[in-house]
Amino acid sequence: MIYLDNAATSKPLMQCVENAEKYLLREYYNPSALYAEGYNLHLELKEARRKILSFIADESNFSLTFTSGGTEADNQAIFCGGKRGNIVTTLGEHSAVFSSAEELKQRGTEVRFANLNSDGSVNTEHLLSLIDDKTSLVSVIHVNNETGAINDIFKISEKVKNKNKYALFHSDGVQAFGKIAFKLTKNIDLYSVSAHKIGGLKGCGALIKRKNLVIKPFIFGGGQEQGLRSGTENVFAIKCFGDASENAYERINESYEKVKRLNDVLRSLLDRDIFKILSYEEASPYILAVSAIGLRGETILHEADDNGLIIGTGAACSSNAKKRFSRVVLACGADEKTADGVLRLSFSSENTMSEIKTAAEILNNIVKNRLNIMA
Amino acid sequence: MEKVIIIRYAEIHLKGKNRGWFERVFVVNMEKSLKGLKHEIRRHSGRYLIENFEESETENILERLKKVFGIHSYSVALKVCADMDAIFKAAQAVCGMEGKFKVNTHRADKRFPLNSMQISAEIGGRLLDCNGNIKVDVHNPDFIIDIDLRENGTALVFNEFFKGAGGMPVGTSGKGMLLISGGIDSPVAGHMIAKRGMSIDCVHFHSYPYTNMQAREKVIELTKRLSSYTCGAKLNIVSVTHIQEEIHKKCNGDYMVTLLRRFMMRIAEKIAIDSGAQCLITGESLAQVASQTVEGMTSSNSVLKTLTVLRPLCGFDKDEIIERSRAIGTYETSIEPYEDCCTVFLPKHPVTRPKLSDVIAEEEKLDVNVLVDEALKTLETLIL
Repeated sequence: MIYLDNAATSKPLMQCVENAEKYLLREYYNPSALYAEGYNLHLELKEARRKILSFIADESNFSLTFTSGGTEADNQAIFCGGKRGNIVTTLGEHSAVFSSAEELKQRGTEVRFANLNSDGSVNTEHLLSLIDDKTSLVSVIHVNNETGAINDIFKISEKVKNKNKYALFHSDGVQAFGKIAFKLTKNIDLYSVSAHKIGGLKGCGALIKRKNLVIKPFIFGGGQEQGLRSGTENVFAIKCFGDASENAYERINESYEKVKRLNDVLRSLLDRDIFKILSYEEASPYILAVSAIGLRGETILHEADDNGLIIGTGAACSSNAKKRFSRVVLACGADEKTADGVLRLSFSSENTMSEIKTAAEILNNIVKNRLNIMA
Repeated sequence: MEKVIIIRYAEIHLKGKNRGWFERVFVVNMEKSLKGLKHEIRRHSGRYLIENFEESETENILERLKKVFGIHSYSVALKVCADMDAIFKAAQAVCGMEGKFKVNTHRADKRFPLNSMQISAEIGGRLLDCNGNIKVDVHNPDFIIDIDLRENGTALVFNEFFKGAGGMPVGTSGKGMLLISGGIDSPVAGHMIAKRGMSIDCVHFHSYPYTNMQAREKVIELTKRLSSYTCGAKLNIVSVTHIQEEIHKKCNGDYMVTLLRRFMMRIAEKIAIDSGAQCLITGESLAQVASQTVEGMTSSNSVLKTLTVLRPLCGFDKDEIIERSRAIGTYETSIEPYEDCCTVFLPKHPVTRPKLSDVIAEEEKLDVNVLVDEALKTLETLIL
């Protein structure tokens, strides 16, 4: 089976399996407990926290709160950062931010959505025009999860702060962390990451926060994670998150280059008469969005699956036509026919060149055949 | 004092010489629905008593009985020996704390020294003596205490009637094959026909890879819900992908749904005959969508060789169907947003009043028998 849906989730590292035995059978203590066994786990959490943070931020300026995943981190940023005035975000956000913003709107906060460029990145000028004195939060996704478009959040956040220095800047970094090299700058107040996109486990993520920033918790209870996220920490998953981050960052450039080659080859092998390539060359090489115009992405997904190739579509299936089309691809200016046929091919450094060649062959054949039937 | 459940049946008492058979099926259905729970069902002059169950399971038993067709009404009663003191204690136990009441007595045991009026008066009087907050009002009571004196020297005392599912016991009116789509209507149609005593099996058509596994899961879930009323059901799943592709390729696209429905009817009839069903059931409602016109129905009926089609929802509005769907517990599943095969290759302007001759002319472009046989090879049967 060829797996090209790594942006949905990735295969966990072998180390996770080894950790499982240790943390599930032997070191199962509560890390907040006062006895030595609990305290030792607390130290391990501390080390994982330090390690993960060190890869993307200066530890003296940022802190990290473990959450149940990227979605929870995004929810905390939106609901706890965007309390007053208005919030500004983009039409290219992952649903974790987009739906949270819509909910905030329902609850009475003004929400403004910035338009996208044709590649899926945010139109910075439009974004800035939406920001005013009353803007309390700006959220811009780092790497778009559907097209792979990279937003230069460092420049954007600087411009945002120039316009309103009190507005918090949040970025969903789930598709960037462990994949592209960067360091958080002082203008970024909040940053969400997830473990399972880089070889960690599902159900684990983190919200990284500028140290001096005070925000309210999203989940209340026993006061774990410095009171910012109550609930007993999932030590096993957090340890795996640390290991996966280490593994990713040890070879980040090497993986990037390899994936870039895979992406380039797949782009070149897909038949341009039947596929429209939606992801720009400058996008993250980990995601390649294409559209089989005139077909429904989900149909191809099923047939590819039957042929040994696992891929993603732009958005979840739905009989409601409006929901069926990828929201992000439509916001890029594509027509409904293009948005209906979106496929998301996403890579990991474990994919091989021969897999990519086979995948291209499978996709070309399926789509050609299906187009003949539908003609 | 023992807790029992009195079951009164609906129309079975109207039956003649075959009444015994109806009753046997009825008991078997009740047994099936109470499977796994400790209980005994006894026939008790024109009604049934469920006895010897765990009191803590009473609600569970009542919940299951709600789905058994053939039950007119049921009551939770206290069973005591036919002695005035024992009857009074039971009446006291079921009597409300305040309000207006009356006592109704039914005396099947004519040997009992008091007649029914005297028993009601005596028990009512004793209840009044014990509780100053209640008073008798035989015309507009807030609650009624029923006393049923049986011939076997026992009395049943109760104060509530629950309405049963009505209808006839499933299995007494033959077997039908329901065409189930995953939408709101077809499970309701199946439920209505099952209510009249028909066993139901289902057939579902899918168009994988144009439709997905979630849509199939949804139909399995709907059939399971329906089967809780029908004492089990088989679900036959057939792929019509190739048929749709052939229609798309060779015929006028506006006839897609009309032609597809004819294929569905042919396939359903074959499966029905093989499984011993005597009719097809659909959830069509007149004029609800483009294909559900009388001409559309005539077109699909005309391919059937021997079986008839029951369309119980023809006279219903959508909101009436939705109301029933909620009542039988299928609505929430039906509205899950997974596509069914009818929406694949959907024409922009479907034919709404197909002329049979035109339909047949279009269909002649296809090798019907081969396509039907091919589809039948994809048949998969699940027992739910």
